[in-house]
Amino acid sequence: MVFAAARRLIGSTYRKFALDPEVAADAQIAAADFLGRKDGIFSGWTDLSVEASDFGQKIIYPEESTPHPDYSKPLIADVIGYSKVKRIDIKKAERMQGVLEMQRILKQKARGPMIGGFCFGPLGVLGMMRGTEHLFRDCLRYPDKVKTGLDIISDVLAEYVAAQCDNGACMITLDTLYASWAGLSKRLWEEIEGPFVKKLSGIIRSKGRMVGVHNCGQGAYFDSQIKYMKPDNISFAYLPDDCSSPSELKRKYGHKVTLTGYVSTALLMHGTPFDVTRECNRIIKELAHGGNFVLAPQCEFPPDAPLENAIAMVKAARYCPETLSD
Amino acid sequence: MKSGNKTIIGLKKAVSSHDRQYLQFCLRAAFEEGAGLNDIKSAMISGLEGVKARLMSNDFSIPEFLLCVDTVTSGLNEISGMKDYSSTDKGIRLVIGTVDGEPHDLGKNIIAAVYRAAGYDVLDLGRQVASDLFVREVINNDAKILALSAMMSTTAPAIKDIIVEINIKSPHTVVLAGGACLDRALSENYGADGFAESAVTVLEETQKALQNQARTKDT
Repeated sequence: MVFAAARRLIGSTYRKFALDPEVAADAQIAAADFLGRKDGIFSGWTDLSVEASDFGQKIIYPEESTPHPDYSKPLIADVIGYSKVKRIDIKKAERMQGVLEMQRILKQKARGPMIGGFCFGPLGVLGMMRGTEHLFRDCLRYPDKVKTGLDIISDVLAEYVAAQCDNGACMITLDTLYASWAGLSKRLWEEIEGPFVKKLSGIIRSKGRMVGVHNCGQGAYFDSQIKYMKPDNISFAYLPDDCSSPSELKRKYGHKVTLTGYVSTALLMHGTPFDVTRECNRIIKELAHGGNFVLAPQCEFPPDAPLENAIAMVKAARYCPETLSD
Repeated sequence: MKSGNKTIIGLKKAVSSHDRQYLQFCLRAAFEEGAGLNDIKSAMISGLEGVKARLMSNDFSIPEFLLCVDTVTSGLNEISGMKDYSSTDKGIRLVIGTVDGEPHDLGKNIIAAVYRAAGYDVLDLGRQVASDLFVREVINNDAKILALSAMMSTTAPAIKDIIVEINIKSPHTVVLAGGACLDRALSENYGADGFAESAVTVLEETQKALQNQARTKDT
């Protein structure tokens, strides 16, 4: 759960963490040591800009903030641009190769055997190259043109997830942010991105790995994501669109997937360890009974949040009665 | 002369179906009927209010909402060029932008459009706005409201610094904060007068913050 925040443990900048596989791997190992979990799952991932960068989108790498596209220079400037997305060879894709290299280094250096992989969903990658606002309008007005771009991108992502599986990642998480109320309508998401992520999920499964889904959008469509990706795990930030309470979430989906969430980003940034522990205990009580639950932040652990709050989460998970009894 | 009920309904329908051509048709009909600009503006805004309600009940999605906002904006642009437009209600002056280092402006753009469509006089400073520029523009424009957006947890702390400055240099200005990494508690911790959770709730939240400020002044 501690990704970019781990850079602080080895005195690295965010920029170095994102661009240097050795630094990223060392940061992950330091985080595992810091949190006292020598047999944990290491994150083989840095940030959301990896895939779009390799397709040619200009990315800005601030010294101490999350890398992001230069939105003043979108790779896809108009709807015609979707058909101009170039199929890339992942062997020559610098950032994807960086992530794969980081996973290899982790495997060699780390004491824990498990490494997690990650891939931004094809629509998310397209959003980075077109700008979300334009992409949303295009999905309604020119769905076929958007699908042309998605077709090329998902072919490349298929190779990328396969390479992560071959690297030994135990679970590849697909980020399908726009499958939520804050993104596209359910019908439109199923039409536009559903079939493409179904293909990616199938590849991961065919390699004998687990499929994870991360969606930190408000009102995520658990039903649609399960329908298309059959994930083992869904990491979420808010209740799904068809649940009005955590107990309903547990009842409806707790037996279908491992629920992973959902400690507030804002609380992790500014709460005390006491506040965090109290919130973790509340969430564990709501969702951990009967198993199939992983305590995690809503999104990644905030890159600049106090690391004491990560320790508070680990302690809450380790010592709460629900965990001990299970 | 008052515009006909049919024309008003037509304007609302054009907005809710994000049909710009139909909006043009209805606008022409409204002009021919001698409708007042305030009535025309109200009809379009009321159309968007209806869309907002449908967004809240999951009947509409964000992309559809964006197209409806585009339709209202095109209608407002059309009437803003007319000679009597200056006599229409100007609305409350509001400054909005994403904070320094924050490139994600989808949420801010939606919120700005909602404010504009609701009749506020919006000055959109764009994205990655330097903190001192926010303060300067609030003072220069005597803005009643400042709306600050941050999506990433790494950029959010800038909100606090801006509010400190605003409280010193323009204490009558109401500040609203919003963005994916914030919640009400953190917004309050930063000193904001209100938390804009989404496009659905932002207008009510703004009204509440303005009323609270008026009450504070009275006491």
